[in-house]
Amino acid sequence: MHELLLFASVPAHQHHELLQQLAGLTAMQPRHRLERRVIYKAYRKPGLINTRVGASQDLQGHDMQRLNKMLNGGMFYTQVVGPVSEADFGAQSPSEDPDAPMSGTDAEEGSGNHLYNYENQPWKLEFRDIPEAGTRSAVTSRLMASASLPKGDISTPMNAWGYSYVTEYAVEGDAFILNDIVIFLHRVLHYPTEQESHAPRRQLPPFQQMSPLERTGSYVLQASITVQDGGNQEMMRTASQHLFGLREQLKSAVRLEQADRLSLDTRAK
Amino acid sequence: MSENFSLPLRPLVEKPERPDSLPVEIAQINAQYGSFRDVTEESLRAKIEADKNKDPWSEEDDGEKELSDEDTAERLDQLYKKRAAITQFALQAHMETSFALDFISLLLSKNTPVQAEMSMSPYLKQVAPLGSLNAEVIHPPPKTEAAVNDTKSVARGWRLQNFNSAANKLLDSATRLESAVESETKYWNEVLAVKAKGWKVCRLPRERQALGVQYGFLEATPMFRDRGLAALRRTNDGSLLLDKGLIPLKARTVRVRVKSHGQLTGCSKRRPTTEDADSTESRILQARDTVYEEELFHELVREARILGSQGVTTRQNLVRFPVSEEQEVLLDLVDDGHELLADDEPTSHEHDPVADALAHSVRILLAYAHRQNLRRRTQPPPPLSPKRRQTPEYQLLRPVMAYLQHSSHVRWLESLLNDVNQVLKSAGLTSDFTCTPFSSLNFKRFNSSVPKVEALVQEFLLPYESTFSGKLVCPQSSFRTKVRTNVVTPPFGTHYDISVNVPQYPEIRPPNRIGLQDEAAWVLTHFVLLDILTAICQVKATGDKKKEGLLTWQAAYPHDGELMAVSSTGQCRKMKVSLSRHELTVDVYAIREIDAFRRPAATKTSTIRSHTWKLGDAAGQPSLEDFVAEVSKP
Repeated sequence: MHELLLFASVPAHQHHELLQQLAGLTAMQPRHRLERRVIYKAYRKPGLINTRVGASQDLQGHDMQRLNKMLNGGMFYTQVVGPVSEADFGAQSPSEDPDAPMSGTDAEEGSGNHLYNYENQPWKLEFRDIPEAGTRSAVTSRLMASASLPKGDISTPMNAWGYSYVTEYAVEGDAFILNDIVIFLHRVLHYPTEQESHAPRRQLPPFQQMSPLERTGSYVLQASITVQDGGNQEMMRTASQHLFGLREQLKSAVRLEQADRLSLDTRAK
Repeated sequence: MSENFSLPLRPLVEKPERPDSLPVEIAQINAQYGSFRDVTEESLRAKIEADKNKDPWSEEDDGEKELSDEDTAERLDQLYKKRAAITQFALQAHMETSFALDFISLLLSKNTPVQAEMSMSPYLKQVAPLGSLNAEVIHPPPKTEAAVNDTKSVARGWRLQNFNSAANKLLDSATRLESAVESETKYWNEVLAVKAKGWKVCRLPRERQALGVQYGFLEATPMFRDRGLAALRRTNDGSLLLDKGLIPLKARTVRVRVKSHGQLTGCSKRRPTTEDADSTESRILQARDTVYEEELFHELVREARILGSQGVTTRQNLVRFPVSEEQEVLLDLVDDGHELLADDEPTSHEHDPVADALAHSVRILLAYAHRQNLRRRTQPPPPLSPKRRQTPEYQLLRPVMAYLQHSSHVRWLESLLNDVNQVLKSAGLTSDFTCTPFSSLNFKRFNSSVPKVEALVQEFLLPYESTFSGKLVCPQSSFRTKVRTNVVTPPFGTHYDISVNVPQYPEIRPPNRIGLQDEAAWVLTHFVLLDILTAICQVKATGDKKKEGLLTWQAAYPHDGELMAVSSTGQCRKMKVSLSRHELTVDVYAIREIDAFRRPAATKTSTIRSHTWKLGDAAGQPSLEDFVAEVSKP
C-alpha cells in the first residue's frame, strides 16, 4: 500500500478555530484519538548475515537470492501503535501490588476505579518507508504497511522478529474523515521522565504530566490518503488530486505542503 | 443631531410680486398664435385633443419601426452612410482643431517662438513668419445696465434650473435608496427569522453572492443531498423567495395503501396542511419533506428491484408487495394536493391503521439508514482502489415485509391451534398451548456503543421468531413450534420448525423447516391425532376396575388413525379416528375375520357407531372417553 501525505503546522491559538472549520468541512464531529507509540529498530542478529557458506552450486538459486536480499536489505525503524483512552493515563494496573507507592494516590483521585491493563492493550505494527525521491508531484508519498499484533506484551514478539526497543511517546489529536482523506490534527506528547528502559511502560503517568514535544503547544495537521496499489498510476493521480482539492479548500486557513523527505527517513543506519 | 433636521435642496423660488401685466400677455399670445380673430372654441379644443394624443416619443418610435421593417440591404446602406457621416464629422473636427492650434501657435510665437514653433503646422510656417500676429487686451465699453441685468437674470435662471434638476435627482435617489433599504431590511429580517428557527443558512457554492438555506439531509444519496439546498432570493418588494431551481414546487408524499381481496381497504393519512402555507418556514419544511419523501420512494424502488424474487413488483410509480395470499400493500408517490380518483378511493377504512404504521415505519427505517451512512462515512476509509464502494440498498421494505409476513403466519398458526383446541375440548380432551409472538425481539440487549434509537431499530432488522409451545392430550406429550421469518439473508421467507415429544412414537420426527402452511398444519394435526390414539390406548391400559371387561384398543395403523380391539370371544372391532382443523370423527366398525397379518377383511365391515365433534359444538355432548367406553363394551 502507498500513502500520500500533506502536512501543515497549526499554532496552538489556531487549534480550536481549525477544529471548528474542519468539523464544518467534513460535516462530522472530531473523533478524538489518543495513541501510545513505541519505536523499534531493526537490527541484524549476529551470525546470520553470511549466507555464502556452502560450496554447493545449486543452492544459489532463486530462493537463496531472495533470502540474501531479505537479510542484507535495508534496516528500518518501525513503530507499534496502541490506542488508549484518557482514563488509561494515571490508572493503576489491575494486578499491581498495593504496597507499591508508584503514583498510586494520584491515579485513584484522577480516574476513580478505572484500571489500565497492559496485558489487554491492542497493538498495531506500522511500517513506513522513506518517502519516494524524485517524484515531481507536490505530495509526499511513501510505501506503508500495517498489521495487527497480539494484545498485551509486545516486546517479546518484537525482539523475536529482530527489533529492539528504542523509545516511546504518545500522540493525541482529533481525526476527521473527508471521503477518502483522513485528516489528523495531532501533537506529540512526551512522557514526563525519560527512564532508562528497554520495554514499553506497563503503566501510564497522569495525562497532565505529559509534555508536548513542541514547547509552544502547536499541532500538526496531517492529511493522508492510502492507495491499495501504488503501481496504479491513475489511482495515485486521483489520490493526489483529492489532496490538492483539500489543500485548495483549506487554503485560507492553513497551508498544506509536502514534508521534507529526509525528516521522514525511517532507515536505520 | 436632531433627527428632524432637513436640508432644503430645492432653491427658494420667489413668486413674482406682480404677475405679468395683461398687455404683455396679450402681446405674447399675438406673437405665438396670431390674431385673436382666428381663435375659436373648436380650434382650441382640436388643439388640446391633438396635444393629448400626441406622444412625445411617437416620432422616434415610428422611425425605429420603419427601420426595423427595412430589409438588410437598406440597413447596410444606411449604416455605410452613417459611418461616412461620422468620419466626415470627425475629419471636420480635426481640421477645426488644427486651425485653432495653428492660430494659437502663431499668436504665441510672438512671445515664445521656440515652443510655439513646435506646435505649428508646416504649411503655416511657410506661409506666415513667426511673430506676425499679436494680441492686446482691450477694455470693452461698459455694458448697459439693462444688458447686465439681462445676463444676471439669465444666469440666475440657469442656476435655478440646474439646482432644481440636481435636487430632483438627489430626492429621487433618496427615495430609491429608502425603498431599497426597506426591502433589504425586510429581506434580512426574514433571513434572520429563518436562521433563528435553526436552519442552516450559507452561501451558495456556485453563486457566491447569493444566500441559501440547507434543509436537506447530509447523509442522503448524493442526488438528494445536493437537492437539499435552496437559494433565498429577494423579490423586488423585499420579501423572501425560496428558489429551488428546476425542482418542481409541488409537495409529494409516499402513500401506502392496503389491498385485501382486490379491494382497497386502507390508505395512509395525508400530511396535514399547515394553516400558514405561505410562510417561508412552512415552505422550507415542505421542501424538506418533499425531498425526504422522494428519496424514500427512490430507495424503495431501488430495494424493490432486488426483491423481485420475493414477489415484489415495481411499476413506474408504484411498488407492490404481497403480505399474504389475499392481502397486498401498494406504495406510491403522489402529489400532496392531488385529489383521489374514483377508483383510488378505499372501499373501507379497516386497514388504515396498518397503512399508517407502514408509512411511519419506512420513514423511520430511512432515518436509520441515514444514521448508518453517517457511521460509515466517519469510519477510516479503506485504501483507495479502482473498485468503488457501492452503497447497499437500504433495508426499508424488507423489515416491513418480514414483519407483516411473520405476523400473518403467527396469527394463522394461532388460529389453527385454537381451532384444534376447541375441537378437542368439545370432545372432552384437554390440551393447552402458549404463544409468544416475536420472541426474538429483545430490547434489553442494548449495548452502550450504539445510541438507543439505533439499537431499537436494529432489533427489527434481525430475523423474526415466534414460539408456540404446549401440551397435548397425554400428560407426557408436548410440542414446540418456532416460526422464523427472514427476508434479509437466505433462506428467505417463513419457516416452521416443529419439534414434538410423543413418547409412544419416539422414532417419528417432523421434517425440518417446513415452508408451507398446509404442510405445517398437516404435521401438527397428525401429531395431535397420534397423541389422541395414544390417549385412547392408555385409557384402556390403565383402566380401573369399573372398566374391566371392556375391550382393549391397540393402535394398528396409527398413521391412518386406526385402532383395533379383539375381545376374548374373538370378536374384532376397528376404530378409525380422523382429526382435522374443524372436526374430530370417530368411526367404529365391527370386523368378523382377521387375516394372518391382523388385517381386517375390508369388505366385511359394518359401521356400528360413529360420532363427530365439530368446531363450535355446544358442551353437553358425550366426551370421547365416554364414547370409547360405550363402544368398548363387548
